[in-house]
This record gives sequence, C-alpha cells and structure tokens, in this order.
Amino acid sequence: MTIVPNRLGVKFNLKREPAIAAADIVPIFQRWIQEHTVDGMLIDVIDYKHVPEGPGVILIADEGDYAYDFSDGQVGLHYIRKRNLPGILSDALLLAFRIALGAALCLEDEAPGDIEFDFSSAKISFLDRQRYRNDPSLYAALQDDLSAILAEIYGCEIALERAYDDPRLNFALRVSAQSSSVDGHKLLARLSERPVSVQ
Amino acid sequence: MNTWKEQLADQIPAEMGVLIDTFEAQIELRKQGKLDEKVFAEQRLRKGAYGQRYDNGQRHDGVRTRELSYPSGELVKGPDTLWDAPGMQRIKIPYGGLTAEQLEVLSELADEYADGILHITTRQDIQLHYVHIDDTPDLMRRLAAVGITTQEACGNSVRNITACTLAGVCHDEVFDVSPYADAMMRFLLDHDDVQDFGRKFKVAFSGCAGHACGLVKMHDLGLLAQTREIDGETKRGFTVFVGGGLGTVPQQAKVLADFATEEQLLPLAQAVSRVFARLGEKKNRNRARIKFLVSKLGIDEFRREVQEELKTVPHDDRHTAYLDTLGDFAYKPAKAGMALNGTPLPDGFSDWYRTNVYHQTQSGYSTITLNTPLGDFTAMQGFQLAEIARRYVGDNIRLSVEQNVVLRWVADADLPAIYRELCEIGLGDAGAGTIVDITACPGTDTCKLGIASSRGLTAELRTRLIERINLLPDAVRELKIKVSGCFNSCGQHHVADIGFFGNSRRSGNHKMPHFQVVLGGQWQENAGSYGLAVGAVPAKHIPEVLEALTNRYVAERGNDENFQTWVKNLGRKEIKAMLQPYMKLPSFDDKPGFFSDWGDSRVYTIDDIGVGECAGEVVSLFSLEIARAESAHFEALLALDEGNYPLVDQQAYKAMVLAARALVRTKYLDVGDDYGNIVNEFRSRFYETELVYDRFAKGKFARYLFKRHDQPPTQVGEDYAHQLIDETQLFIENIHSAEQRINGVIVS
Ligand code: HEM
Ligand code: SF4
Repeated sequence: MTIVPNRLGVKFNLKREPAIAAADIVPIFQRWIQEHTVDGMLIDVIDYKHVPEGPGVILIADEGDYAYDFSDGQVGLHYIRKRNLPGILSDALLLAFRIALGAALCLEDEAPGDIEFDFSSAKISFLDRQRYRNDPSLYAALQDDLSAILAEIYGCEIALERAYDDPRLNFALRVSAQSSSVDGHKLLARLSERPVSVQ
Repeated sequence: MNTWKEQLADQIPAEMGVLIDTFEAQIELRKQGKLDEKVFAEQRLRKGAYGQRYDNGQRHDGVRTRELSYPSGELVKGPDTLWDAPGMQRIKIPYGGLTAEQLEVLSELADEYADGILHITTRQDIQLHYVHIDDTPDLMRRLAAVGITTQEACGNSVRNITACTLAGVCHDEVFDVSPYADAMMRFLLDHDDVQDFGRKFKVAFSGCAGHACGLVKMHDLGLLAQTREIDGETKRGFTVFVGGGLGTVPQQAKVLADFATEEQLLPLAQAVSRVFARLGEKKNRNRARIKFLVSKLGIDEFRREVQEELKTVPHDDRHTAYLDTLGDFAYKPAKAGMALNGTPLPDGFSDWYRTNVYHQTQSGYSTITLNTPLGDFTAMQGFQLAEIARRYVGDNIRLSVEQNVVLRWVADADLPAIYRELCEIGLGDAGAGTIVDITACPGTDTCKLGIASSRGLTAELRTRLIERINLLPDAVRELKIKVSGCFNSCGQHHVADIGFFGNSRRSGNHKMPHFQVVLGGQWQENAGSYGLAVGAVPAKHIPEVLEALTNRYVAERGNDENFQTWVKNLGRKEIKAMLQPYMKLPSFDDKPGFFSDWGDSRVYTIDDIGVGECAGEVVSLFSLEIARAESAHFEALLALDEGNYPLVDQQAYKAMVLAARALVRTKYLDVGDDYGNIVNEFRSRFYETELVYDRFAKGKFARYLFKRHDQPPTQVGEDYAHQLIDETQLFIENIHSAEQRINGVIVS
C-alpha cells in the first residue's frame, strides 16, 4: 500500500509545558520568515491562540504549515505537508518527519532549556478521508507496512497505535520508539542522508 | 473509487453537480490560458472562492517587501492574484441553520483543506482560510453531498440570506421567518435574474421590529414579518425595506412596501432584482450597490419601477409552491421539553445561565449561545459539537451574526449537563452577547484590504475584559463592541455601542496602525441608527480608550440612560476632548511598540494592502454565459479522451445551446432554459435577421446548431463525436464575433 494522502501531518510534543507564552511564538515565526530558518516558501503567521486546544500559532508556507499547536491537549510542533508530496508513501513520511524534526530543533534553539521536545514519539496524521478513512480495518491492513516504514525512520523497533477511535476524525497514528532515548539531532543527521524525490 | 466526484455522484443534487463540474472545467481552461482572467475571477467569486492577503505575491516581512515566489509562476486566478496563493472559501449557510452532519462535513474540510479552523462570519456564513484553488471543486462536492452550496457566496450576486437566530423560538416574533428565508434562498439561487448585478446584493429577514437580530434596515433587501387582517382572515406578509447598507457610505433602508403578502414575496424580490440588474450602476463599483440606485431615483420612482417590472415577471409556479411545504419546516428536538429540576449545578453555571441561555417560547426548552472567540472553532470542536448536538438538540444548530454557534431546543433539565460538556470542549465561556463577546472582521490577518488588525485588537480586548468581567458594572457588561479592519465595515462597527475601524496615521517617517472610534450605533430596532465617528486613536491606545469611555459612562450616566443617549447628550466635541490625550502620536524611538499592530511583531506598514475582491469583477452577462458554454465544450473534449461518445454528444450540444443562449439573453433576458425555446429564439432573432452571419461562411456555423437540434443522432461513433466537437468550437467562435459586432466590447 503506497497511496500518498493529500496531506500528511507530523507532530512532536513538548516534554513539559514551557514557560514561554504562545504570544511569544509570533515574533519567532516572523523572524523565521525573514531569515528563512525552516524549509519551504514561507508566507505568513496566523495567530489562533484564542482557540482552546487549537492550532495555536501557525507559520503558513506554500508546501507545508508549521504550527505551535495545542491540539489533543498537548503542546507541540505540528508540521502539515500540503503540497509537493513525494509519490511514494515511505518517501512522503520521511520528508514530513524530517522537516518537522528540523523545525522542532530550531524551536528548541529559541528557548534553550525551556522548549524541549520528546522526539521518541510522534503523531502522524493522514489528512485525506477519501483514501484514508479512520477505521480499524484499514489500520489492520496497513499496520505492517506503516510499522516497517516508521521503524526504518527511527532506526529501531517502534510501537504503533491509532491516535483516535472516532471514525469521523482523521486517520492518525501514534508512533513510539522502543529505545531508551532518542536524540533529535542525531536522528535528523541520519535522516538527512537519505534522498527523497519530491514530485 | 478514487475520487470524491465518483464517490459522491449519487448524493450530489444534479444542478449542483453541474455547477461544480463547470467550475472545475473552468479551472482547467484558465490553467491552459483559454479563459480570460477577469471572467474566471468572477466565476470563482461566485463560487465563494475569494482571494486572500499576499496573493499578489508580495509581503512586507517587517524589514523589507519580499517576493513570494509561488511555484505556479505567472499563472493567475484573477487580476494580480497568483494561482498557488492561499485563498478563502466562503460557504453559504442560509439563516445560519446547520445540521449535525453538515457541521461534521465542514469540520472535515477545515481539517483537510484549510488550517483546521472554522470561522463564523458576520453574515452567518462559514469561512475556511488558506485553501488552495485546486482543492475547491472537491471541497464543494463534499458540501453539496450534504446540501450546502457555495454558489454566489461572493461576487456580484445574491449573498447569503440571513435571519434572526431565534426565529421560530422567539417570544417577540410575529412568526417564524426561517422557512421564508429558506424559500427565497432556493428561489434566487443561480436565478437568471440575479446574474447581471453591478454589485453584491444582501437580503435579511427579521421576525419583529423591536429587536436587533435580523438587522433588516442595513440590508439591500430587508423583510420584516407582519400580519394583516384581509377579508377577515389573518394574512402573513412582510414590510419590505430596500437600499440599506453599511460600507463607507452607510444608509438606512427605505420602505418599499408596507405589506407584501407571502404570495407576493418571491415575485417582488424577483422584480427588485430585475430593476437592480437593469438600472443599477455597472461601471463605478463604488456606487453600484442598490442603495445608490434608490437614492438616485428616489424611493417613489424606484417603487414605480418595481411595480412596472412586476407586470413583466413571467409566471413561475415556484413563486407560491413553497407555501404548501411551510409545514415541513417543523423543528425536531432530540428530547422532550422539561423544566430544570433540582440537579446540582456545576461551577460557573449561574454566570453562564445568565448570559448564554434564552428561554424559548416553547416551554421546557432553551436556546443557548456558545461564546465562540472571534468566531473561530477547531475542526475537533466541530466534531465534538456535532456529537453533543445529536444527543441534546438534534439538527437544531445555528450560527449568529455575532459570530457564535447557537444550539436551540435544549431541554431545560439538560442545561447543567450540556454546560459541563461544553466546558470540556472549551466552548463553555459565559458572557455571550456581552462586552466580551466582540465581533470582528478578518482584517489584516487574511483580508487584502485590511489596514489594521481587527482580530488582533479583538483578541487583546477580549483577554483583558474576561479577566475583569465579574467586576464590570451591568451597564458596561451589556455594551456591544464591533471591530472592522478598514472603513468597509465588514465587522458591522456602525451598529455597535462602541465600534472601531482600522486606519493609519504617520508619525515621523513611519506609519502607525490606528482605529477610528465610532460611538453610539444602535443594534436594537434592526440596526435602527448608525454610530458617530469621533476620532482616530493609535491601535495600542484602544484598551485605555475603552476603559476611559466606560468609566466615564458609568460615572456620569443618568438613571437608565443608555449608551446611545449618553453619547448623544455628551456630544462629539466633548468626546473628542476625552480622546485627545490618547491621540498624540509617540515617536518611533519613544515607543516602538506603537508601530507594530496587535498580535503582529512586524514593524507596521500599509504596503501589503492589495486590491480587494469585494466588488467582484465587472464582467458582462454575456462573458459569464459564454464561459459556461466553453466549459461544456471542454467537458465534451474530456469525454472524447475517455471514448465516451454519447457524453460528447450531450456536452457539445449543450455547449452550442448555451452559447446561443448567451447571445439571445443580450436581447431577451427571459428566454429560460428550455433548449427548444432557446434555439427558436436564436433562429428568429439572430439567424433569420442574419445578425449572426459570418462575413464569408454566412449562416453555416449557426446551422451546426440547428442540425444537431433538429436531428439528434441515433448512433454516436468516434467520427461523429470528433466532427461535432469541431463544429461546436466553430459555433462558439461565431457567437463570440457576432456578439462583438452587435454589442461592442465584451469585458468592461
Ligand atoms: C471594497 C470591498 C468591501 C466592501 C465594501 C465590503 C463591505 C462589507 C460589508 C458592508 C459587510 C457586512 C455588513 C452586512 O452584513 O451587510 C461585509 C461582510 C463581510 N466582508 Fe466585506 N467588504 C469588502 C471586502 C471584503 C474583503 C476583501 C474581505 C476579506 C476576505 C471581506 C470580508 C467580509 C466578511 C468575512 C464579511 C461577513 C461575510 C459574509 O458572510 O457575507 N470583505 N463586507
Ligand atoms: S472591513 Fe476592511 S479589513 Fe475588514 S474584512 Fe472588510 S474589507 Fe477587510
């Protein structure tokens, strides 16, 4: 099964609630646009911090958006790849994962010691209800393939589970590396060596 | 099944499917450079697909203006509007009424095509932002499958029809206006007589004269429920207002008819539309709303025109057919009505109960308002809300012009439970309809015309006011604040106690975001009077201005003096004096923070303001209609590629008839949809008169149409299909040149 969804999301959560306020993310993202800190054609920043458990502050880009996101009651960095996804699912996952990881590391640099991600797990969302209905049978059919792809990304055994049971929500997975610690920088360095062809 | 089109084929009503397929074909034609950018822009706007800030490919990043190099390069979706630039999709929700299923589909779309947020507008619509134009046909199909259309959500056409959120459950209403709003929406949607407007046309219904909810007096066409005794029988009808509007030149509507019966309602609306299409300004869009026509003619002359027009409106069964189904409009609550009994009340319940709960006229039921911050909620909240609605109220969801979600038909006994559940999903805030529940237009966040950040200011005021809500005197708590990002007043600042609209002033070499303060507008009596502009204040001073104003109001107001009267008595001069200390402009070195807008860290600039699409493109009716013919021709080409020859025949024939119709309608608006009629009219008006004759080929191209019309093929093979497609192409070209010869310029 290699069908690539329309959009693909990868979210890393913070280890703990940081001291930095959501409002302070706005100038960071604005500066990222000026300095082209993260991948893509960066467009604008939009502030939704008034919405509880929402996308928080979003850095909008042409290919994919970066959100300092509060969904599921967890603060984290959510990258949603919207366009130019590679034509092979493993490549698409690798690309989105790598860009999300890179952006999260940049965010750690903005508030060292305060913003700290837990890279040992991630939420992967398939935003495409045409091809990826959120039902258990689809998960059962895809579980092995997806586990293999994600294990390769992490370079170790992983555990996989569905993030939501509600069939109305998007098909999303929670992946956890079965390794004592995952170092974001090392992971990124390893993943950056792998070529990905973007459509 | 691999596409939404295939998957939803059986669920999409045929007419809606055709409109969406046509639009999809136009997207392709535009990409191939075969459809004029202005014509495409107007078609796109009519589908509710708006441009968004920075779609001209430029943005000031706080240091310099940067080029946004979208991958599609030069390709545009309208003048100066780049193809790949994120856009806004407006979705029409007539009178704000939603079912649980519709709310779920809207949430899916926000999740998959937008930024995860559903935004409620000041006219009961839903907007999604950062949508790519290529995603819009599927987005529209998924909506159509649950009975929602985006048709004519923007552009020069009949916009969403609004009505009181309490219609049907209100103590003060004369009768429930919802089914009438529904009927008028269906009747006018994509109607031939509403295609040739110079500007947008907004319709609102209200159930009573005294309260605010319907705001009929600020609409192009406003309908106020009334009853009259006629021949000993109580008849339902409406007082009809025309020519109201906000915008730069706000105007109160005039009475067109004291009483129009329910039978007269739709023909009258149609006649008004025809007069507006015929006599309304087309060239100068700043004077093209119907209010200018009413002013120019005077209401008496305008009325006479409408009465004359009524005589020419062709008979249509739909004018009264809806009256037979009014009874179908009965509401189905999920639970039996029951009084609030002795269940223990959750924390915060009584504050919420005081401001967010309205007791319906049906005993044992309440309507509750969800104080939805800035009109925004997440896709996840949408799903959760749909689930709550199913359990407690069924399909009785509405959106309000104050940008809130409203649940009707809650059994009173369920109020504590539903409150608890709403708190769990972050929608249990008290203070609905109070000073904390501020209305705001999109402003500089996403609007191309935004001058100052209406939403940034609103978020800031909301945060500050919520902290103090319990300390505020009742007189202050009851005030309404509305904010627009510029003078266009999409945030309806004219009809708030305290309104703000964005502008800018210069201090040294820098621009500074400002808000003009507008005081004493009236929400009551259907937006009975508009506020007074008293001066522009730096955006960063607005919270202090608000505090100064409300403090003085509380201190000085006479017994029961309301804000409007207080403002009027105090006078513009005195108020200006009060604002004076806040109007001084600090220098950049002194207070650099004043040179950034609320919620934005960039140094402020007005360089990002673009050309708005509020007016739509002024494109002739002919251009719009011939574009439909061209997309049918395009679909015929697609069918040819698939080897589906019967479909080629069908689409090509349709393309020729539509092209003929486009030309016929330049002389005879009421030709209708019947193929036979269209061909006959075309024959007598353009063929027999030789008007359509080509210099060399004479009537040859026109005869292609007659041939296909008079002798439908019995068998359709590949050769036939090829030939028909070529003939169709020639015929369409022929119509184009004939129209230019006969009527002059095509695109104005
Ligand atoms: C010259 C251009 C424009 C004018 C004169 C204008 C005027 C207005 C007015 C007077 C209203 C609302 C009051 C009513 O209920 O009648 C309105 C509604 C609205 N406008 Fe504009 N507007 C313009 C352009 C825009 C643009 C560019 C945007 C940004 C995308 C925008 C966003 C809105 C929204 C969100 C509403 C509530 C919408 C609805 O659901 O119909 N407007 N506009
Ligand atoms: S009031 Fe101005 S800034 Fe606000 S939406 Fe309308 S045009 Fe845009």
